[in-house]
Amino acid sequence: MIELQGITRVYAPSGRPPVHALSDVSLRIERGEFVAVVGTSGSGKSTLMSIFGLLARPTSGRYLFDGHDVTTLSVEEQARFRNKRVGFVFQGLHLLPRTSALENVELPLLYSERTAIDGLGSKALAAVGLTDRMQHTPAELSGGQQQRVAIARALVNEPDIVLADEPTGNLDPRSALEVMSLFRELNRQGHTIVIVTHDMAMAGHAKRVARIENGRIVADRTTTPARERASEAR
Amino acid sequence: MNAIRLVRHSIRAISRYKQRSAFIMLGSFVGTAALTLVVAVGAGAERKMLSTVRQLFGVSSIIVMAGGAHLMGPPRANAARLTLDDIEAIASDVSAVEIWDPQQALPEASVRYEGRTATARVLGQSERAERAWQRTVTRGVFIDETAVRASARVALIGETTARELFGDGDPIGQEILVGNVPLRIVGILEPFGTDLHGMDRDDEVVVPISTMMRRLMNVDTIILAKILVRDPSQVEGAVRDITRVLRERHGIPAGRPDDFTLVSPITVQKMVARTERILKLYLPLVAAIALLVATIVAAALMLASVNERVGEIGLRRAVGARVEDVLLQFVVETSATMLSGGLLGVIAGSVAAEAIAARLHLGQLLPWRAALLGIVVSIITGILAGVLPARRAARLDPVEALR
Repeated sequence: MIELQGITRVYAPSGRPPVHALSDVSLRIERGEFVAVVGTSGSGKSTLMSIFGLLARPTSGRYLFDGHDVTTLSVEEQARFRNKRVGFVFQGLHLLPRTSALENVELPLLYSERTAIDGLGSKALAAVGLTDRMQHTPAELSGGQQQRVAIARALVNEPDIVLADEPTGNLDPRSALEVMSLFRELNRQGHTIVIVTHDMAMAGHAKRVARIENGRIVADRTTTPARERASEAR
Repeated sequence: MNAIRLVRHSIRAISRYKQRSAFIMLGSFVGTAALTLVVAVGAGAERKMLSTVRQLFGVSSIIVMAGGAHLMGPPRANAARLTLDDIEAIASDVSAVEIWDPQQALPEASVRYEGRTATARVLGQSERAERAWQRTVTRGVFIDETAVRASARVALIGETTARELFGDGDPIGQEILVGNVPLRIVGILEPFGTDLHGMDRDDEVVVPISTMMRRLMNVDTIILAKILVRDPSQVEGAVRDITRVLRERHGIPAGRPDDFTLVSPITVQKMVARTERILKLYLPLVAAIALLVATIVAAALMLASVNERVGEIGLRRAVGARVEDVLLQFVVETSATMLSGGLLGVIAGSVAAEAIAARLHLGQLLPWRAALLGIVVSIITGILAGVLPARRAARLDPVEALR
C-alpha cells in the first residue's frame, strides 16, 4: 500500500555540516500490517515517521501511496491527504488544552470534507475505551488516557494508516502495555499501524519490526507467531 | 462547507483563554474608549461653541469694545474711554447701522433681598438689548425707553439669581438692593445656560444703562456696544466706517494702534477657525496616540499569544487544516476579540463623554465615525499582529511547527 523508494532527508543547519537524517531508505508496507520501527534517538526514526505522515518532505526519493507519488502533491493537496488517509499520533500528543476529549478527537473532522460527522468522535473514543471521559479536558485525564485520546483522534476520520511516534514514550509500564494492546486490537480490526519506538519490548507487540540506525534500515523481520502468541497471553 | 463549523470552533477557542483574550480585548477597549470619548467631547464642545457664537454674534453684528487688541476676557482696568456719545456718533454717521445697544457691567455685585444675598453680574443695557442680543424675558416686561431715559430703578433678573433670592416665590414687583440702590424687578430673563467660559449666564441682573452708569457706578463710559447692521454684506464696510469714526473722535494719529476693538463675524470666524483647528486636529491626535499605544499593547500580546500557538497551528496543519483554514480561524478569533473590546470601548467612551457633557452642558451625540475608526483600527491591528504570524506558522512544514 505504501512504499518508500530511496528516501533521503538531509537537514542543513546554517553554518554546520549537513545531517543525513535518512539515507536511501526503501520500505514497503501493506494494508493490515502492524509495523514497529525501532531505533535509538537520533537514528532517523522520527524523520521517517514525518515523511510517512507527509509532515515533512523528503530531500529526494519517491513516496508511493496506493501507487501514486504523494511527494509531488501541492501543499493543500498534502493537507487533504493527511486529513483523509493518515491518522497521526504525535510524540508530544499535542492535545488542545482546556478542550474536551471529544472536541480534541473531532479536530480532524473540522477540516474534513465529510458532511456526516455526527457520532464519529464518540465512536472513536469508544474504540479506545474512553466513553466515560468524553467531556474531560486533557488536564483531567491520566497520561495513558491522554494517549488514548490522541489515538482516538488519529482514528476519527477513518484513515488508511495510523502512524504513532513513540506512543509509549511518556507512559508508566502498565499504561504502555495498555496502549500497545490497544494498537494490537485496532490492528486486528483491520487498521494498518506503524509505530516508532526505542523500546524493543514495545516493538515486540508488532507483527513486523524494522530496525533503523544512522538513517538506514538495517534489519526488517516479521515476528514469529509464537512470539506474538506469547505476548498475547500476557 | 465546513466554514461554519470552523467559525464556531474559533469563537469557542476565545472563551477557553479568558485571561489572554481579556488582555487583548483591553487593548482595543482602551484605544476605542479614548478615541470615542475625546472625539465626542470635542464635537460637543465645538457644537456648543458654535451655537454660543451664533447666539452672541449674529451674522450681521459688530461688537465695539473699549481698549485695544484683546478679544477675550474682561476689559482692561484703565481702558481708553468709550462713551455713549461715541456710539451715538457711529449710529448717526454709519448708515448701515440698524440698531445699537451699549453695555456697562459690574462683574460681581452683591444683590440683596430682605435677609438673603446673592452674587450676580449686573449689566446696564438699553431697551434695544432685547433685539440686539436676542434675549428677552419669559415673564414680566423688558426695560423700556422711558425707564432708560429716566434712569429708572428697575431690573430684570436671571433665573439663578431669582432662585437664590426668592426660592419658589415670585420675584416680579419685589424690590432688591444692588449696593444701596433699591431696584424693582419687572421681568425674568430668558434662560441662557452657561457660556463659552463656563460662566452661568442666568446669574445676572439687567438694569437700564443710564441707571447703571449714574446710580450704580457713577461712570460716564461704557465697556462695549453691540451694533447690528441691516444686511450681513454691510459688515465689512461698517467695520471700516466705525473704525474711522472712532479714531477721529478719539484723536488717534495715523500709525498709532486703535484704543478700541471691533469684533465682527469676520474676526469671530477667524477665532472660531483657530479653536476648531485645535478641536479638530489636536484632540483627535491625542486620541489617536492613545489608540496607537493601546493597539500596540494589544498587538504585542497577540503576537506573543500566536508565538505560543505555533505548535497548535502545526497540529491543525498535521491533521489536515489548509493554510486558509488556519487563517480563517485566526481572523475570526482576532476580529471577534478586537470587535468585542472595541464595542465595550465605544460604550464606555460614550458613557464617560455623556458624563462630561452633562457637567459642561455640552450637547451629546455618539461619534459613530470615531467609534467605527477605533474598532476598524483595532481589527486591522489584530489582523497584522495575530493573523500574519499565524500565516507564517501555517506555511511551515507541520513537523517544524510541531517542534
